[in-house]
Amino acid sequence: MISPVKIWRNQKKIQTLLEQEGKILTHTTIFVPPAGFESQAPYVVVVVELTNGKKITAQLVDFDEQHLCIGQKVKTILRRTKDPTEEGVIPYGIKCTPIEL
Amino acid sequence: MRVKISGGATSQFGELWHVSPRDLVKRVVVEALKEAELSHKQINAIFVANMLSSSLGGQDHLGSFFAEELGLPVCAMKVEGACASGGLAMHAGVLGILSGHYEHVLVVGVEKMTDHAPSEVAQALMGAGSDSERQAGATFPALYALLARVHMEHYGTTETDLAYVAVKNHFHATLNPLSQFPFPVTVENVLASSSIADPLKLLDCSPITDGAAAVILSEDKQSASSADGQRTNNKKTVAIIASSVATDTLGLAERDNLTALKATQEAAQKAYTETGIGPKDVDVAEVHDCFSIAEILAMEDLGFVKKGEGGIVLREGKTRLGNPLVVNTSGGLKACGHPVGATGVKQVVEVYQQLMGRCGKRQVEKARIGLTHNVGGSGGTAVIHILQSFV
Repeated sequence: MISPVKIWRNQKKIQTLLEQEGKILTHTTIFVPPAGFESQAPYVVVVVELTNGKKITAQLVDFDEQHLCIGQKVKTILRRTKDPTEEGVIPYGIKCTPIEL
Repeated sequence: MRVKISGGATSQFGELWHVSPRDLVKRVVVEALKEAELSHKQINAIFVANMLSSSLGGQDHLGSFFAEELGLPVCAMKVEGACASGGLAMHAGVLGILSGHYEHVLVVGVEKMTDHAPSEVAQALMGAGSDSERQAGATFPALYALLARVHMEHYGTTETDLAYVAVKNHFHATLNPLSQFPFPVTVENVLASSSIADPLKLLDCSPITDGAAAVILSEDKQSASSADGQRTNNKKTVAIIASSVATDTLGLAERDNLTALKATQEAAQKAYTETGIGPKDVDVAEVHDCFSIAEILAMEDLGFVKKGEGGIVLREGKTRLGNPLVVNTSGGLKACGHPVGATGVKQVVEVYQQLMGRCGKRQVEKARIGLTHNVGGSGGTAVIHILQSFV
């Protein structure tokens, strides 16, 4: 279980990453997930360079096949990350979604 | 003063449900001591390399744990640096001898992984990644897949080039009786294996493995006493002439460049500068091929080939047994197996055995200088050792 205190502490970091745009530097589709992500597989993880120069690792969601390429423009959004345990707090974090041109 | 290897041993690597970590360690230590012709009472310190005993096995305090098991109530500690734990423990052992504080040091690496479900192991291994990588649900295959994608985009490396890494290392493993997968695979087998994190497939990935390896390091009095380096007897000695470590950011995203592992480049540069030995002088190398792309990156970052040419060298089979530089004679992490804490120690044992001329069918002829390259995480830590034989 992720400590609720840690989740609370991370909220502050999440706020600074919301409403950002960037582009995909590299991507992979994960078919064999770690514990806690079984219900989501297969899913896509990308490294994104934001327009402010900061780089992040996050999942890509709500996309079509043609969006899965280096250079694709994306924006950051708030989503549930990991499957919570029965008693755990539901963890939220940053994911990315394509911007249509 | 120089540091010599007095003895080294590797256990069988594989799915060893019938053997406990205690037994694995005991076996390799007894074998290494026997070869060193030392009594366990002559060992002054123990460095245990391990990553997952806490998260998977619920056991910490491995220094005391193995000191008790070996009946050695001396200085003992665990050294952890993810998959580079073995290399880091070797580094600590070398420093222990060079400090003049210890005469004989035991470095032992051990990992017990197959007792647990693959998803649990994948999660535990992600302890070596960054918080944001864990939140994204990334796995280690995924992090190296992200690196592979960049390499393919920049240098035109193909999935077939990646497959040749597995083909070569499986071939070498057929000649190593202690390897986990002593059978050959073809490029077609690799390309047809199931996707783990694309572009990486099952046969691009090193396996989950149980295993242990031990090295006994000693002060090389012979070299210290003779000014011209000439030895008074004709016994062959293998010395560790460089032990260097470099680190980089924990997470991939924080790096400026995803086409190389900077920690490898920097650790290698340090080792080459210290010894005056260059990549062209190396006869045999054990490099960290946790995933096929990792061996291609290693070939480039260690300076064996120019940046971008790693895939070509593998495709042309230029690092297979019988070439001037042979890479991963043990079968590498891919086919010998990857018990994470043991790997960095096993690499040193393999190169040591090569330089002593004891590798049988996989012996590299006239091997005199060897290199080991051990990486932690996605490149957050890199450890290089250079070994040389003296007669």
